[in-house]
Amino acid sequence: MAVKFFGQFLVERGAVSPDKLLEAIDLQDRTNLKFGEVAMTLGFLGEAEVERVHDAQRGEDLRFGDMAVKLGLLTPEQMQQVITWQKNNHLYIGEALVKVGALDSARVAKLLEEFKADQAPYLAGAVMIPEGVDNPQVWEMAADLTFKMLARVANLAFRPGPCVLSQSFDAKHLAAAMDFSGSLRGRYLLSVSRGVQQAMARAILKESDVSGEPKEVLDDTVMEFINIVCGNIAAKGAQMGQNLEIDPPLVVAENDQQVSVPPEFIALSFPLYFADGEGAELSLWIAR
Amino acid sequence: MKRVLIVDDSISVARQLEKIVTGSGEYDVVGHAKNGAEALKMYQIHRPDLVCMDMNMPIMDGLTALRTLMTMNRAARVVMVTSLGGVGDKFTEALRLGARNVISKPFEEANVLQILREACV
Repeated sequence: MAVKFFGQFLVERGAVSPDKLLEAIDLQDRTNLKFGEVAMTLGFLGEAEVERVHDAQRGEDLRFGDMAVKLGLLTPEQMQQVITWQKNNHLYIGEALVKVGALDSARVAKLLEEFKADQAPYLAGAVMIPEGVDNPQVWEMAADLTFKMLARVANLAFRPGPCVLSQSFDAKHLAAAMDFSGSLRGRYLLSVSRGVQQAMARAILKESDVSGEPKEVLDDTVMEFINIVCGNIAAKGAQMGQNLEIDPPLVVAENDQQVSVPPEFIALSFPLYFADGEGAELSLWIAR
Repeated sequence: MKRVLIVDDSISVARQLEKIVTGSGEYDVVGHAKNGAEALKMYQIHRPDLVCMDMNMPIMDGLTALRTLMTMNRAARVVMVTSLGGVGDKFTEALRLGARNVISKPFEEANVLQILREACV
Protein backbone atom coordinates (compact mmCIF):
# COMPACT_ATOMS: atom_id res chain seq x y z
CA MET A 1 0.00 0.00 0.00
CA ALA A 2 3.02 2.29 -0.42
CA VAL A 3 5.59 3.30 -3.03
CA LYS A 4 8.29 0.64 -3.02
CA PHE A 5 11.27 -0.53 -5.04
CA PHE A 6 11.44 -4.12 -6.23
CA GLY A 7 13.99 -5.35 -3.68
CA GLN A 8 11.96 -3.99 -0.79
CA PHE A 9 8.80 -5.59 -2.16
CA LEU A 10 10.59 -8.97 -2.27
CA VAL A 11 11.90 -8.75 1.30
CA GLU A 12 8.57 -7.50 2.65
CA ARG A 13 6.86 -10.43 0.91
CA GLY A 14 9.41 -12.88 2.33
CA ALA A 15 10.41 -13.90 -1.23
CA VAL A 16 14.10 -13.19 -0.48
CA SER A 17 15.95 -12.74 2.80
CA PRO A 18 17.47 -9.37 3.76
CA ASP A 19 20.96 -10.96 3.54
CA LYS A 20 20.40 -12.20 -0.02
CA LEU A 21 19.04 -8.80 -1.10
CA LEU A 22 22.12 -7.07 0.35
CA GLU A 23 24.36 -9.60 -1.46
CA ALA A 24 22.56 -8.81 -4.73
CA ILE A 25 22.83 -5.04 -4.15
CA ASP A 26 26.57 -5.40 -3.45
CA LEU A 27 26.91 -7.29 -6.74
CA GLN A 28 25.03 -4.49 -8.52
CA ASP A 29 27.33 -1.89 -6.95
CA ARG A 30 30.39 -3.76 -8.21
CA THR A 31 28.91 -4.31 -11.70
CA ASN A 32 27.10 -1.07 -12.49
CA LEU A 33 29.97 1.34 -13.08
CA LYS A 34 29.59 5.09 -12.79
CA PHE A 35 29.92 7.30 -15.85
CA GLY A 36 33.52 8.31 -15.05
CA GLU A 37 34.57 4.71 -14.41
CA VAL A 38 33.15 3.61 -17.78
CA ALA A 39 34.83 6.54 -19.55
CA MET A 40 38.15 5.38 -18.02
CA THR A 41 37.47 1.72 -18.95
CA LEU A 42 36.86 2.79 -22.56
CA GLY A 43 40.06 4.85 -22.54
CA PHE A 44 38.30 8.21 -23.04
CA LEU A 45 39.42 9.77 -19.75
CA GLY A 46 42.24 9.44 -17.24
CA GLU A 47 42.00 9.75 -13.45
CA ALA A 48 43.08 13.40 -13.44
CA GLU A 49 40.40 14.31 -15.99
CA VAL A 50 37.71 12.51 -13.97
CA GLU A 51 38.79 14.51 -10.93
CA ARG A 52 38.62 17.71 -12.99
CA VAL A 53 35.01 16.95 -13.92
CA HIS A 54 34.13 16.24 -10.27
CA ASP A 55 35.69 19.58 -9.23
CA ALA A 56 33.69 21.43 -11.89
CA GLN A 57 30.47 19.69 -10.77
CA ARG A 58 30.90 21.21 -7.31
CA GLY A 59 30.40 24.65 -8.87
CA GLU A 60 27.74 23.85 -11.45
CA ASP A 61 24.81 21.46 -11.39
CA LEU A 62 25.55 19.35 -14.49
CA ARG A 63 25.67 15.59 -14.95
CA PHE A 64 29.13 14.04 -15.36
CA GLY A 65 28.85 13.45 -19.10
CA ASP A 66 27.46 16.90 -19.87
CA MET A 67 30.21 18.51 -17.79
CA ALA A 68 32.92 16.44 -19.48
CA VAL A 69 31.61 17.57 -22.88
CA LYS A 70 31.40 21.19 -21.69
CA LEU A 71 35.02 21.04 -20.54
CA GLY A 72 36.05 19.59 -23.90
CA LEU A 73 37.22 16.33 -22.33
CA LEU A 74 34.69 14.18 -24.20
CA THR A 75 33.00 14.53 -27.57
CA PRO A 76 29.18 14.19 -27.64
CA GLU A 77 29.70 10.89 -29.53
CA GLN A 78 31.98 9.56 -26.77
CA MET A 79 29.41 10.59 -24.16
CA GLN A 80 26.78 8.60 -26.06
CA GLN A 81 29.11 5.59 -26.25
CA VAL A 82 29.53 5.65 -22.46
CA ILE A 83 25.75 5.86 -21.93
CA THR A 84 25.20 2.96 -24.33
CA TRP A 85 27.90 0.90 -22.56
CA GLN A 86 26.22 1.56 -19.20
CA LYS A 87 22.83 0.59 -20.60
CA ASN A 88 24.12 -2.62 -22.22
CA ASN A 89 26.00 -3.71 -19.11
CA HIS A 90 23.47 -2.67 -16.46
CA LEU A 91 22.67 -5.40 -13.95
CA TYR A 92 19.09 -5.11 -12.70
CA ILE A 93 18.20 -6.23 -9.19
CA GLY A 94 16.19 -9.19 -10.47
CA GLU A 95 19.18 -10.41 -12.50
CA ALA A 96 21.48 -9.86 -9.52
CA LEU A 97 19.18 -11.95 -7.31
CA VAL A 98 19.37 -14.78 -9.85
CA LYS A 99 23.17 -14.53 -9.95
CA VAL A 100 23.48 -14.78 -6.16
CA GLY A 101 21.14 -17.79 -6.14
CA ALA A 102 18.24 -16.13 -4.33
CA LEU A 103 15.65 -16.72 -7.07
CA ASP A 104 15.37 -18.33 -10.49
CA SER A 105 14.48 -16.29 -13.59
CA ALA A 106 10.92 -17.60 -13.87
CA ARG A 107 10.19 -16.67 -10.26
CA VAL A 108 11.69 -13.18 -10.80
CA ALA A 109 9.43 -12.65 -13.81
CA LYS A 110 6.35 -13.73 -11.84
CA LEU A 111 7.22 -11.55 -8.85
CA LEU A 112 7.95 -8.59 -11.14
CA GLU A 113 4.43 -8.84 -12.54
CA GLU A 114 3.02 -8.91 -8.99
CA PHE A 115 5.20 -5.92 -8.10
CA LYS A 116 3.92 -3.94 -11.09
CA ALA A 117 0.34 -4.69 -10.10
CA ASP A 118 1.10 -3.63 -6.50
CA GLN A 119 2.59 -0.33 -7.67
CA ALA A 120 0.06 0.42 -10.44
CA PRO A 121 -2.04 2.68 -8.17
CA TYR A 122 0.96 4.98 -7.81
CA LEU A 123 1.58 5.58 -11.51
CA ALA A 124 1.45 9.28 -12.29
CA GLY A 125 -1.91 10.77 -13.27
CA ALA A 126 -2.69 14.06 -14.95
CA VAL A 127 -1.68 17.14 -12.96
CA MET A 128 -0.81 20.33 -14.83
CA ILE A 129 1.95 22.59 -13.48
CA PRO A 130 2.11 26.21 -14.72
CA GLU A 131 4.74 26.85 -17.37
CA GLY A 132 8.15 28.14 -16.32
CA VAL A 133 8.44 26.10 -13.13
CA ASP A 134 11.60 23.95 -12.97
CA ASN A 135 11.30 20.17 -12.49
CA PRO A 136 7.55 20.13 -13.23
CA GLN A 137 7.48 16.32 -13.29
CA VAL A 138 8.51 16.20 -9.61
CA TRP A 139 5.72 18.59 -8.52
CA GLU A 140 3.20 16.77 -10.71
CA MET A 141 4.19 13.56 -8.95
CA ALA A 142 4.00 15.19 -5.49
CA ALA A 143 0.49 16.55 -6.11
CA ASP A 144 -0.70 13.36 -7.78
CA LEU A 145 0.56 11.20 -4.89
CA THR A 146 -1.12 13.53 -2.39
CA PHE A 147 -4.45 13.14 -4.19
CA LYS A 148 -4.06 9.35 -4.32
CA MET A 149 -3.15 9.12 -0.63
CA LEU A 150 -6.08 11.36 0.35
CA ALA A 151 -8.34 8.86 -1.36
CA ARG A 152 -6.59 5.66 -0.27
CA VAL A 153 -5.29 6.47 3.22
CA ALA A 154 -7.81 9.06 4.38
CA ASN A 155 -10.82 7.67 2.45
CA LEU A 156 -11.69 11.16 1.21
CA ALA A 157 -13.60 12.01 -1.96
CA PHE A 158 -12.81 15.43 -3.43
CA ARG A 159 -12.30 17.38 -6.63
CA PRO A 160 -8.92 19.02 -7.24
CA GLY A 161 -8.93 22.52 -8.68
CA PRO A 162 -6.30 23.74 -11.16
CA CYS A 163 -2.78 24.43 -9.88
CA VAL A 164 -1.88 28.14 -9.70
CA LEU A 165 1.14 30.15 -8.61
CA SER A 166 0.32 31.87 -5.34
CA GLN A 167 1.74 34.47 -2.96
CA SER A 168 -0.16 33.34 0.12
CA PHE A 169 -1.50 30.24 1.81
CA ASP A 170 -4.78 29.81 3.68
CA ALA A 171 -4.22 27.75 6.87
CA LYS A 172 -7.94 26.89 7.20
CA HIS A 173 -8.58 24.97 10.45
CA LEU A 174 -5.05 23.57 10.57
CA ALA A 175 -1.95 23.65 8.38
CA ALA A 176 0.91 21.17 8.74
CA ALA A 177 4.18 21.13 6.82
CA MET A 178 7.34 19.19 6.15
CA ASP A 179 10.58 20.72 4.94
CA PHE A 180 12.59 18.91 2.33
CA SER A 181 16.18 19.28 1.19
CA GLY A 182 18.69 17.42 -0.95
CA SER A 183 18.66 17.83 -4.72
CA LEU A 184 15.58 20.07 -4.32
CA ARG A 185 14.74 22.31 -1.37
CA GLY A 186 11.42 23.61 -0.14
CA ARG A 187 8.37 23.01 2.02
CA TYR A 188 5.33 20.77 1.57
CA LEU A 189 2.19 22.22 3.22
CA LEU A 190 -1.32 20.90 3.59
CA SER A 191 -4.16 22.87 5.15
CA VAL A 192 -7.45 21.24 6.07
CA SER A 193 -10.87 22.41 7.21
CA ARG A 194 -12.25 21.01 10.47
CA GLY A 195 -14.40 18.42 8.71
CA VAL A 196 -11.52 17.18 6.57
CA GLN A 197 -9.32 16.89 9.65
CA GLN A 198 -11.99 14.83 11.41
CA ALA A 199 -12.38 12.53 8.41
CA MET A 200 -8.60 12.13 8.23
CA ALA A 201 -8.43 11.31 11.95
CA ARG A 202 -11.20 8.70 11.65
CA ALA A 203 -9.32 6.99 8.82
CA ILE A 204 -5.85 7.11 10.39
CA LEU A 205 -6.96 6.11 13.89
CA LYS A 206 -9.43 3.59 12.44
CA GLU A 207 -12.14 4.92 14.79
CA SER A 208 -15.73 5.66 13.76
CA ASP A 209 -16.00 8.60 16.21
CA VAL A 210 -13.16 11.00 16.99
CA SER A 211 -15.24 13.76 18.58
CA GLY A 212 -13.76 12.99 22.01
CA GLU A 213 -10.14 12.98 20.85
CA PRO A 214 -7.87 15.74 22.20
CA LYS A 215 -6.60 18.42 19.80
CA GLU A 216 -3.08 17.00 20.10
CA VAL A 217 -4.20 13.66 18.64
CA LEU A 218 -6.31 15.22 15.88
CA ASP A 219 -3.44 17.50 14.85
CA ASP A 220 -1.07 14.52 14.94
CA THR A 221 -3.16 12.64 12.39
CA VAL A 222 -2.73 15.47 9.87
CA MET A 223 1.01 15.54 10.54
CA GLU A 224 1.19 11.76 10.17
CA PHE A 225 -0.76 11.94 6.93
CA ILE A 226 1.74 14.38 5.40
CA ASN A 227 4.59 12.28 6.81
CA ILE A 228 3.24 9.28 4.88
CA VAL A 229 2.76 11.34 1.72
CA CYS A 230 6.19 12.99 1.88
CA GLY A 231 7.95 9.67 2.57
CA ASN A 232 6.30 8.22 -0.50
CA ILE A 233 7.17 11.34 -2.51
CA ALA A 234 10.81 10.83 -1.47
CA ALA A 235 10.57 7.20 -2.65
CA LYS A 236 9.08 8.22 -6.02
CA GLY A 237 11.61 11.05 -6.22
CA ALA A 238 14.46 8.54 -5.79
CA GLN A 239 13.05 6.56 -8.73
CA MET A 240 13.18 9.82 -10.73
CA GLY A 241 16.82 10.48 -9.76
CA GLN A 242 16.03 13.09 -7.07
CA ASN A 243 17.52 12.71 -3.60
CA LEU A 244 15.01 14.20 -1.15
CA GLU A 245 15.62 14.30 2.60
CA ILE A 246 12.61 15.18 4.73
CA ASP A 247 12.39 16.69 8.20
CA PRO A 248 9.76 15.62 10.76
CA PRO A 249 6.32 17.25 10.27
CA LEU A 250 5.13 20.30 12.19
CA VAL A 251 2.01 22.43 12.60
CA VAL A 252 2.71 25.80 10.97
CA ALA A 253 -0.56 27.73 11.27
CA GLU A 254 -4.22 27.37 12.23
CA ASN A 255 -7.57 29.16 12.60
CA ASP A 256 -7.82 30.58 9.06
CA GLN A 257 -4.52 32.41 9.30
CA GLN A 258 -3.24 33.76 5.95
CA VAL A 259 0.43 32.94 5.53
CA SER A 260 2.56 34.95 3.09
CA VAL A 261 4.93 32.94 0.95
CA PRO A 262 8.52 34.04 1.72
CA PRO A 263 10.18 35.72 -1.31
CA GLU A 264 12.84 33.01 -1.60
CA PHE A 265 10.15 30.50 -2.62
CA ILE A 266 7.83 29.96 -5.59
CA ALA A 267 4.52 28.56 -4.30
CA LEU A 268 2.33 26.15 -6.25
CA SER A 269 -1.19 26.03 -4.84
CA PHE A 270 -3.59 23.11 -5.40
CA PRO A 271 -7.09 23.79 -3.99
CA LEU A 272 -9.16 20.72 -3.10
CA TYR A 273 -12.96 20.83 -2.92
CA PHE A 274 -15.00 18.47 -0.77
CA ALA A 275 -18.73 18.00 -0.28
CA ASP A 276 -20.56 20.15 2.31
CA GLY A 277 -18.26 23.14 1.81
CA GLU A 278 -15.24 21.44 3.40
CA GLY A 279 -11.86 22.16 1.84
CA ALA A 280 -8.13 21.60 1.81
CA GLU A 281 -5.17 23.14 0.04
CA LEU A 282 -1.86 21.62 -0.95
CA SER A 283 0.91 24.17 -1.31
CA LEU A 284 4.40 23.36 -2.55
CA TRP A 285 7.01 26.00 -1.74
CA ILE A 286 10.01 25.55 -4.00
CA ALA A 287 13.29 27.36 -3.31
CA ARG A 288 14.16 29.74 -6.15
CA MET B 1 3.98 -12.99 25.09
CA LYS B 2 6.69 -11.03 23.26
CA ARG B 3 7.44 -7.61 24.68
CA VAL B 4 7.47 -4.75 22.15
CA LEU B 5 8.83 -1.22 22.33
CA ILE B 6 7.20 1.23 19.89
CA VAL B 7 9.34 4.17 18.72
CA ASP B 8 7.53 6.88 16.74
CA ASP B 9 7.09 10.63 17.19
CA SER B 10 3.47 10.29 16.05
CA ILE B 11 0.90 9.51 18.74
CA SER B 12 -1.54 8.26 16.14
CA VAL B 13 0.94 5.77 14.65
CA ALA B 14 1.87 4.50 18.11
CA ARG B 15 -1.83 4.00 18.82
CA GLN B 16 -2.37 2.19 15.53
CA LEU B 17 0.60 -0.11 16.08
CA GLU B 18 -0.34 -0.81 19.70
CA LYS B 19 -3.86 -1.73 18.63
CA ILE B 20 -2.52 -4.12 15.99
CA VAL B 21 0.12 -5.88 18.10
CA THR B 22 -1.90 -6.21 21.32
CA GLY B 23 -4.99 -7.17 19.34
CA SER B 24 -3.13 -10.21 17.99
CA GLY B 25 -2.74 -11.53 21.53
CA GLU B 26 0.94 -12.26 20.83
CA TYR B 27 2.58 -9.11 22.16
CA ASP B 28 2.65 -6.74 25.11
CA VAL B 29 3.67 -3.14 24.46
CA VAL B 30 6.22 -2.16 27.14
CA GLY B 31 6.57 1.46 26.13
CA HIS B 32 6.31 4.22 23.53
CA ALA B 33 9.41 6.31 22.82
CA LYS B 34 8.95 9.49 20.78
CA ASN B 35 12.47 9.71 19.35
CA GLY B 36 15.66 7.68 19.01
CA ALA B 37 17.26 9.00 22.21
CA GLU B 38 14.22 8.02 24.28
CA ALA B 39 14.22 4.64 22.57
CA LEU B 40 17.79 3.86 23.65
CA LYS B 41 16.97 4.72 27.28
CA MET B 42 13.76 2.71 27.25
CA TYR B 43 15.48 -0.23 25.58
CA GLN B 44 17.96 -0.47 28.42
CA ILE B 45 15.19 -0.29 31.03
CA HIS B 46 12.71 -2.71 29.45
CA ARG B 47 14.95 -5.01 27.36
CA PRO B 48 12.07 -5.72 24.90
CA ASP B 49 12.03 -8.76 22.58
CA LEU B 50 11.24 -6.53 19.62
CA VAL B 51 11.50 -2.84 18.67
CA CYS B 52 9.27 -1.18 16.05
CA MET B 53 11.18 1.95 15.04
CA ASP B 54 10.27 4.94 12.86
CA MET B 55 13.06 6.58 10.80
CA ASN B 56 12.08 10.23 10.53
CA MET B 57 11.98 11.60 14.10
CA PRO B 58 13.17 14.75 15.86
CA ILE B 59 16.14 14.82 18.29
CA MET B 60 17.53 11.45 17.12
CA ASP B 61 16.41 9.74 13.92
CA GLY B 62 15.67 6.03 13.70
CA LEU B 63 18.75 4.98 11.73
CA THR B 64 21.08 6.68 14.23
CA ALA B 65 19.23 4.99 17.08
CA LEU B 66 19.37 1.64 15.28
CA ARG B 67 23.15 1.95 14.81
CA THR B 68 23.65 2.64 18.53
CA LEU B 69 21.17 0.00 19.62
CA MET B 70 22.94 -2.70 17.60
CA THR B 71 26.25 -1.82 19.29
CA MET B 72 24.49 -2.17 22.67
CA ASN B 73 23.03 -5.55 21.72
CA ARG B 74 23.99 -7.23 18.43
CA ALA B 75 21.08 -9.63 18.85
CA ALA B 76 18.46 -6.88 19.18
CA ARG B 77 15.40 -7.46 17.01
CA VAL B 78 14.40 -4.24 15.29
CA VAL B 79 11.84 -3.71 12.54
CA MET B 80 11.74 -0.27 10.98
CA VAL B 81 8.23 1.14 10.38
CA THR B 82 8.54 4.16 8.14
CA SER B 83 7.16 6.23 5.30
CA LEU B 84 10.71 6.24 3.89
CA GLY B 85 10.77 2.46 3.31
CA GLY B 86 10.54 2.95 -0.44
CA VAL B 87 13.72 5.04 -0.56
CA GLY B 88 16.27 2.42 -1.61
CA ASP B 89 19.24 3.93 0.23
CA LYS B 90 17.33 4.17 3.51
CA PHE B 91 15.97 0.64 3.17
CA THR B 92 19.35 -0.95 2.48
CA GLU B 93 21.08 1.11 5.18
CA ALA B 94 18.54 -0.17 7.72
CA LEU B 95 19.20 -3.78 6.69
CA ARG B 96 22.98 -3.26 6.75
CA LEU B 97 22.73 -1.84 10.26
CA GLY B 98 20.91 -4.97 11.39
CA ALA B 99 17.18 -4.26 11.08
CA ARG B 100 15.23 -7.50 10.56
CA ASN B 101 12.91 -5.88 8.01
CA VAL B 102 11.35 -2.57 6.97
CA ILE B 103 7.61 -1.92 6.91
CA SER B 104 6.43 0.94 4.71
CA LYS B 105 3.72 3.38 5.78
CA PRO B 106 0.86 3.25 5.13
CA PHE B 107 0.85 -0.29 6.50
CA GLU B 108 -1.73 -3.05 6.68
CA GLU B 109 -2.42 -5.06 9.81
CA ALA B 110 -1.81 -8.50 8.28
CA ASN B 111 1.49 -7.37 6.78
CA VAL B 112 2.69 -5.88 10.07
CA LEU B 113 1.89 -9.05 12.02
CA GLN B 114 3.51 -11.32 9.44
CA ILE B 115 6.74 -9.31 9.43
CA LEU B 116 6.88 -9.05 13.23
CA ARG B 117 6.38 -12.82 13.57
CA GLU B 118 9.23 -13.46 11.10
CA ALA B 119 11.43 -10.99 12.98
CA CYS B 120 10.91 -12.89 16.23
CA VAL B 121 12.10 -16.24 14.82
